[in-house]
Amino acid sequence: MNAASPLPADTPPAWGRVRASRRIADRILKVSATLFSLISVVVLFWILGMLLVQGGTSLSLDVFTKITPGPGSEGGGLVNAIAGSLVLTLLGIAVATPVGVLAGTYLVEYGRGSILAAVIGFLNDVLLSAPSILIGLFVYTLVVQPMGTYSGWAGAIALAIIALPVIVRTTADMLGLVPSTLREAGAALGAPTSLVTQRVTWRAAKAGIVTGILLALARIAGETAPLLFTALNNNFWFSPSLMGGVSNLPVTIFQFASAPYENWRQLAWAGALIITVTILLISIVARYALRKDIVR
Amino acid sequence: MSASPIRTQSIIGHMDADDRARVRLAVKDLNFYYNTFHGLKNVNLNFYDRQVTALIGPSGCGKSTLLRTFNRIYSLYPEQRAEGQILLDGRNILDPSIDLNELRSRIGMVFQKPTPFPMSIYDNVAFGLRLIERLPKADMDERVESALRRSALWDEVKDKLKQSGMGLSGGQQQRLCIARTIAQKPEVILFDEPTSALDPISTGKIEELIEQLRGEFTIAIVTHNMQQAARISQFTTFMYLGEVVEFGPTERIFMTPEKKRTQDYITGRFG
Repeated sequence: MNAASPLPADTPPAWGRVRASRRIADRILKVSATLFSLISVVVLFWILGMLLVQGGTSLSLDVFTKITPGPGSEGGGLVNAIAGSLVLTLLGIAVATPVGVLAGTYLVEYGRGSILAAVIGFLNDVLLSAPSILIGLFVYTLVVQPMGTYSGWAGAIALAIIALPVIVRTTADMLGLVPSTLREAGAALGAPTSLVTQRVTWRAAKAGIVTGILLALARIAGETAPLLFTALNNNFWFSPSLMGGVSNLPVTIFQFASAPYENWRQLAWAGALIITVTILLISIVARYALRKDIVR
Repeated sequence: MSASPIRTQSIIGHMDADDRARVRLAVKDLNFYYNTFHGLKNVNLNFYDRQVTALIGPSGCGKSTLLRTFNRIYSLYPEQRAEGQILLDGRNILDPSIDLNELRSRIGMVFQKPTPFPMSIYDNVAFGLRLIERLPKADMDERVESALRRSALWDEVKDKLKQSGMGLSGGQQQRLCIARTIAQKPEVILFDEPTSALDPISTGKIEELIEQLRGEFTIAIVTHNMQQAARISQFTTFMYLGEVVEFGPTERIFMTPEKKRTQDYITGRFG
């Protein structure tokens, strides 16, 4: 404020010299950032709230004990769809996990710096954002057409292809965070790379890798499009051989939500709530696992 | 591992630094390259049996690079290569036919940052042992305890051997790494600035430990700390820009260096 008359060197400058425009800009950014984060959270809770209200009122013991109702019949449940979804998701993750973890391990532990690893890493990231309906069509031409029938196996393969890049990427990222000094320390004791990887590096990245697998699980638990052309759906109990259509939650929701029957629409809400809560729980467990590792 | 020839010799750990001990590790015309960068230039150097040799010099002078050729740890990185000879008891360890895992069990290394493995304290020490020997549980327990005792860590960890090695303090972690290394009974131990991440008290403990280990092992230590080199080593090598400028008994290097550059460095005129 007294900028015109320079003060003697031993007098501290007067208070209030930070420019007002700076303070206002600071305030504006703070308010707008808070506002927009509130908006995104509100949308999220809106969805959750609507699901809880609509799905909650549709939830009953019947949902977990009775199979999906036929057109025009009363009541019914989702037990066959829930069971089918569990089977497809677990099969998918069981296929994707070993392939994904080993591929991620190759990228970091063996292929680092090689052209092959760079190409695989890049293609993996492309696959990561590939439209899931495309993967459904891919498996349709590769598995469903030659076999001549929809099947749970085709559905599980499609889900595995979606989970795979997620697991590869997180495994590679998490292994990349392990300091190279730890690998050197293992090698310096005379341990071959394979042993250092298994006993030291994987262990150091364990929580991160498990988190990646859980996130992939959450991702495929709700996938609909890849199942449309592969496992299709089924309003009855599916065959234990998983041949033919296999009932599952996402496609059931897709079909029931737009149906003219009130009990179908209620079941669609209930199914949506079940999937969302399951994914939420998986994500929370994944977060917790990762946090525990970082704190340690 | 078969008994190595040193067992038959008398202990010469406390001889005067000027006396010539047996050469354990001989470096002959060693050149080292990172891609095209010439990191070490015609290095010729001896490391004597059960003596501590300090490698000093300003940052980037190649002292760590030199240390990392002795267990060929550099070969983890394809862009790095060494040419020349490094003789461990007369055997050229740069020879491609050398089994790297065998070599590294004979030449141990302790790093700048403590590197405990994400496993229990016990398993950290047993890890290296299991690579070279299959021992019954009782014998393994004994060897683990002995290594931890000799690393001055036993009293602090004996009640929590099953706990993670990551939970120890920095100084304890570094002693755990030393225990892990000596459990394998190597012939040579390489220390790459082992105390630069530690507080003065932990540093003192590690220095004491190195002094004790000298009775059993040939030791090479890279250090930025010239007082440390003077305190714990019998021989000192001063390096500059990838070359060995001067090598000799520590006392002579510090009291009456022959080269001006050595004198400038140890008196703090550059660094």
